[in-house]
Parts: sequence; C-alpha cells; structure tokens
Amino acid sequence: MKKVKYFLGALALLALASCKEDAPFLFNDVATLQFGPPLSAIYQSGANAAGANRSYTFFYKSPDTRQDTVFFDIYAIGGPSLKDRSFKLKQVQVDGVNNAIPGTHYIAFDNPDVSKNFVIKAGQVHSLVPVILLRDISLKTADAVLKFNIIENENFKLGETDYLWRRLDFTDRINKPAAWSATYQTTYYGTYSTVKHKFMMDSTGELWDQAFMSVLQDPVAPDPARLTYYMTVIKTALINYNNAHPGNALRDELGNLVVFP
Amino acid sequence: MKKIYTILGLTSALFIFGCSKDIGNYDYAPGEVITINGIEDSYTKIAAVDKITLDPEVSSTEKDADFECFWGVYDSRVLGTLVIDTIAKTKAIDYLISQSPKDWTLVFGAKNKKTGVSKYVISTLKVGTQFTRGWYVLKDDGSQTDLDLFKSSVGIVPVDKVENVYSIINGKKLNGKASLFSFQYNYRTNPTGVYANYRALYLMSDKDVSVVDISSLKELNDFNHLFYEAPATKAPSIVTWGYLGGNYVVNDGQLHSLYANLATNTGHFGARRIKDGVNTPYKLSKYFMMGSGIQQNPIFFDEMSSSFVSCVANSTVLNLLTDGTGNKIPVNNNNKNLLFMGTKSGSPYTGYAILQDKSNPSIKILSSLTPVSPKLTITASDTMKVTDKIYNASNYTLNLDDENMIYFTVGNEVWSRNLSNKFEQRQFIAPAGEEITFIRHRKYAGTASGEAPFKYNYIMIGTKIGANYKVRMFTKTSGNLSPDPAVTLDGKGSVGDVIYISPVNSTYLNNY
Repeated sequence: MKKVKYFLGALALLALASCKEDAPFLFNDVATLQFGPPLSAIYQSGANAAGANRSYTFFYKSPDTRQDTVFFDIYAIGGPSLKDRSFKLKQVQVDGVNNAIPGTHYIAFDNPDVSKNFVIKAGQVHSLVPVILLRDISLKTADAVLKFNIIENENFKLGETDYLWRRLDFTDRINKPAAWSATYQTTYYGTYSTVKHKFMMDSTGELWDQAFMSVLQDPVAPDPARLTYYMTVIKTALINYNNAHPGNALRDELGNLVVFP
Repeated sequence: MKKIYTILGLTSALFIFGCSKDIGNYDYAPGEVITINGIEDSYTKIAAVDKITLDPEVSSTEKDADFECFWGVYDSRVLGTLVIDTIAKTKAIDYLISQSPKDWTLVFGAKNKKTGVSKYVISTLKVGTQFTRGWYVLKDDGSQTDLDLFKSSVGIVPVDKVENVYSIINGKKLNGKASLFSFQYNYRTNPTGVYANYRALYLMSDKDVSVVDISSLKELNDFNHLFYEAPATKAPSIVTWGYLGGNYVVNDGQLHSLYANLATNTGHFGARRIKDGVNTPYKLSKYFMMGSGIQQNPIFFDEMSSSFVSCVANSTVLNLLTDGTGNKIPVNNNNKNLLFMGTKSGSPYTGYAILQDKSNPSIKILSSLTPVSPKLTITASDTMKVTDKIYNASNYTLNLDDENMIYFTVGNEVWSRNLSNKFEQRQFIAPAGEEITFIRHRKYAGTASGEAPFKYNYIMIGTKIGANYKVRMFTKTSGNLSPDPAVTLDGKGSVGDVIYISPVNSTYLNNY
C-alpha cells in the first residue's frame, strides 16, 4: 500500500515538474563589447564591417572651428546592466601612415573629459563613442590616421574579433567621401581626385561631402534625377572650362585629365 | 485504498478515451452557392454629379434564402487595415458619388441570414470630376493662352462648355500663343507639401508652360518651378515622354529631362543636356516623334547640324544616332531643313519627316523614319514634285496607326496624300473667311468598361474666323473625310491643340 502511495506521489510530482516554461537564453553569462553599425542600419547586411573605416575633413568647416567630434556606435553583448558600465579604448599604431598624435590631432582616450563618455548606461546595450578631433595646422598638408581598439576591463570582455577596432582617416584638406563608392564612381563621378572634387563644389555650390552625397545616393530612396541634374551642370562647366583654356584642360593633382563617365 | 483505486480507474478511463476513433465528417453534399448578377467590373462616375444606381439579382441554391445586403467603398491602395465605408444596407442602391477623384473599390455583399453564408462582389469605381472628362481646346487671343472645356458626360459629343477654364481656376493666363498639350498620368510633385502622383495635363504656349492637376485644373507647377534651375529664356516647344520614365522638355531648342522612373523624383526637369564632349551648340526643332513601346525614345532634329538625335532617361547628353541599313539620307549632317516630323505608329515605332535641302531649297523629300536605337533608318521614299499639292503645304498631320495617309493644308483647303502611291485628294474646303490654323488626327479606342460611348477616331480641322475658332472633327472612311463633321467645337480665340481627356485613359501619344 505504501508503495502505491509513493508511486502516486512521484507521479504527481512528475506531472507538476513536467510543465515548465523554457527559460530564455539571455547571453548574460559574459558581457562583451564590440563596435557596430548605427542603430538605423543594424538590419542591413554588411553595415557592421562597412563602418570600420571612416574619413573626416575639417575642410568644409568654418575657419573658427578648432575641433570636432566624430561618433562611433558601440554595443554591449550579454544584455543590459542595472548600473552604468565604463569601457576603455586604446590607440594602435598603423604601419606606414601618419598616426594621429594624442593632444595634437585628437584628445587622448584617457583624458577624463573624453573617457567619462566611454560608458554604456544602465539599462542600455548601445552607446556612441565620441572621438574629439583637433584641427592641427599639420592637417593642411598631411592626413592623420587614428586606429583604436576596445580593450578589456572589469566590465567587458572582448567581443567578436572583427568588430573590436575602428579607423578614422582625417585631414583639413578635401578628401574622398565614402559615398564616392565604386558603383557611383563607375556611373557618375569617375576616378577621385581633389581637383575634381573641388571643381564639383565650385560648379554646383554644393559641398559634395558625405552628408550631401548620402542623401542623393540614399539606398532606400535615391534621387537619380537630382544627381543627373548636378552631373549635367558639372560636365557642362568642365567642357566650358576646357574650351576656355585651349591646350590647358583641367588636370588633377597627379596630372591626369579630369573626366567624368 | 478505495480512493486510490478510484483515481487509478479514472486515470485508466482517461487513457482509454484519449484515443477515440476518427469518425470524421465525410458529408460531401454541395454547400450553398449564392449568385450575384448585375454588377459590372468597373464604373466611371463624376463626383457630386453622378449617382451609382444598381439593383443586382441575388439568388441562392438554398430555398427560402433570406438575404441581408450591404454596399461599401474602400481605397484598395491603402496599406494596413481595410477601412470600408458602408454606403447602403439594402440590395438596391441609388447613391450620389461623394468620394474624392481617384480609383476606389466598390463592394457588394449578400448574406443568407438563415445559413450565414455570404458572397461578395467587387468592382472598380473610377471617380472623376467635371474636369476629368471632355474635350479641351488650347487657344490664344494672339498674346495669351487659355483653355476651353467642352464637357461630354454621356457621349463623345459635348453637351456643355466652360470657356477660359484655366484662368477661371488659376486666376491667370499663359503668355504667348497656344501650341501643344501633353498628358502625364503620374506627374509627381508636392503642391500640398506632400509628394504625390497626379494625372497631369501640360499646357504649352510658345512662351510658357503650366502643369495642371486634371482633377481640379489647379496649377501644379509653372515654368519657373518646373526645373531645378529655370532657363533664362521661356520658349518651350516640346513636352514628351520616353522609355524608363524619361520625361523631356525642349525649351529654346535645348533638351531638359526628368528621370521619373523612381518614386523619389521631385517633378523637376534637369539642366540643359550636352550634345557631345565639347558642348557643341544645338537647336532642336519643334517637330518630334514619340514611341509607345519598350526602349522607344523621342526622335528630335538638330536644326544647327541637320542631324536627328535622341535621348535616354538617365543621362546627361543627347544620344547621337547612326545610319540604318541603306539610308538614303544621312542621319547626321544631312544639310536639310526639317519642315515637319511626326509619328505614324507608336509601336512598331515609325514616323515621317519632310526635309528641304539647304543648298537647293526647291528639293523637298518626304521620308519614312524607323528608329531602332542607336540607328535611325531613313528611307527617301518620296521626292516631291513642284506640282504636288504637298510641295506648298503648311500644316501637316499623320494618320496615327490608321490608313497610310498624311494630311496637310494648302491655303484654305485640307488635302490628303497616300504615302504608298502618292495619290493626293482634297478633303475639305474651309468656308470663306475662315483660316485653317490647326489639323490633327486623334483617336480613342474606349475599350475599358463603360468607355464605349466615348470612343472616337477623328481628323480635326481648326479654323479661325475673326476672333473666334471652330474645330470640326470628321470621321473618315479609307482615309477620306466624311462630308460633315461629327463634332464641332466653337469658341473665342485661335486653336493650338485639342485633346480628349477620359478618366480611364492614361496614354496620349501627342505630337504635331
């Protein structure tokens, strides 16, 4: 009799224990940190890697502008926390380039004015990393390269290897916007040169910087009619320039003729 | 112990009844079928004027069916939750159309209250305004251009007229003399601050352009707002269309284009197109051809170089053409003046040109044109004799897609010339005191539901009598005009162009 009771009791316990909601897999065992795309682009394939290399120029800014801030998106993996979590970045040297000098070309990452912003806020998994660039006179003649990595600290382990770094090429000269992509180079702009870029600016009164070109080339809602209008204006201006300078057609900084497709 | 046995017994019973035999429902008797007759696929109505009056036949395979019915209207183009506006809860309907001008979906539902079985029938309800159907006449008083509307609500013959309707609505006229209409069913612009597509009519004079919403005749864009950067000289001569959303305006002989294929366009035409890599000057004639098929783009004529040219939608330059096989006249630098060019057939794409030699102006040639980009085949089929009536003609129009004829005016007479055998025949003599200012062939098949009463196929002849105009529209048999016009439009001014607008039709091939 006792055995039967034990048997029924075990059966009841089994029945109760058998129905249980699956615990969600929260990835909260280890908090890691890595760079990523803007929030608006997190579902776009390739956006993560595409944002690794950025460029910036002070060229379009007024002469009064002595510093500017470029933001990078960073993501905490492993879920939000109830408290603010600081993180650390460190510049890494790149061979064969003019590496940016802290205090000269940018405000050092360990400067409290900057590092205080290296925080993933409580309840958040995303933050913007401000990198404060300084308009040093040397940028008029040479581009600077700032490559930096996430480094491990008490709050975060390292995330995916491919997304632990960002590189920023910056200058005070005109530079090639990322929107001057291979596709658009083939169809509209041709080979990049600073002379061509400046000519486009002078012909249209537009900056032809990343912000302006991104609107024309918006991947969701591009405006080829407006782009074609500008290219017609530019091509006409180039022909008129060349006609006005017989034997001395517009050439770029490398001596090549400025041409458009 | 007894309780335990009871629990075990109940548990066993549950196990046993847990597996029951599938007895299914295999009754294949036909279900109730409700039939609804008397509703067309499409209705075209004028807002605030027309009613939709219907009493459909509703029957069921079930005896003694008792129906409850409803009528509703909804906009099928709205994404998300379907919002049906119920306009009647009866089987018969007599409803004054109050919807805004566009295509709606009309739905009729009948439910057998005894069985709960329902049937729905939908049809398209095309709602227009008093402006979306009728004959429009582009006319001028010698210095300013306006629009007359001849309403035709029941058939192709107009029953009512609104004079100077453009200036009544917009409070202004166009400067210059009336020239051409052009219709575009999806002109995109933002007069209310929000971009939308409009069924739009271009009104063109020799000094101005206005684009109006055909539903209201309100101006959507004037000349100054039609371009990213308005040309300094207002001298429009052509508005036309091509493949892949290519919209084209020729102003002061220069080509401007709008690549309207993507929904992001803003309705603005671009900068003057370049002819070539050295920006060779050009001046396009007012005469052109337009096709209606795939990869068919307008054909223009550069009067400066005596060359035919074309264009594609998304480009910054004119498209230079090359000679087709066996060209009798070169496409480029042919040393000719263009006296006329027009479309004979939109698809397959063919046309004709009348060319006059620059060195020897007494040589005039009527040539057929067959564009297959980038080639243009020119067949010098017909060198005119000085004694031919067409030799001294002044107005021309081709029989679009119909008999192989060209019509032209000589003094106050309209003549035809058979393009196959060169036979010329007088078709019309204008009464004394009338000056012929315009001839045009237009037709409308009216194949859409409800459009049969509005189909037509007319040779139009416009005359000027003092300060008034008269447009006579003739049917034709084997290319020969009927003795009397089927439709006559009278008004004040001199006619530049006449077009029939239907709320259903979206394609209007329009050139001289």
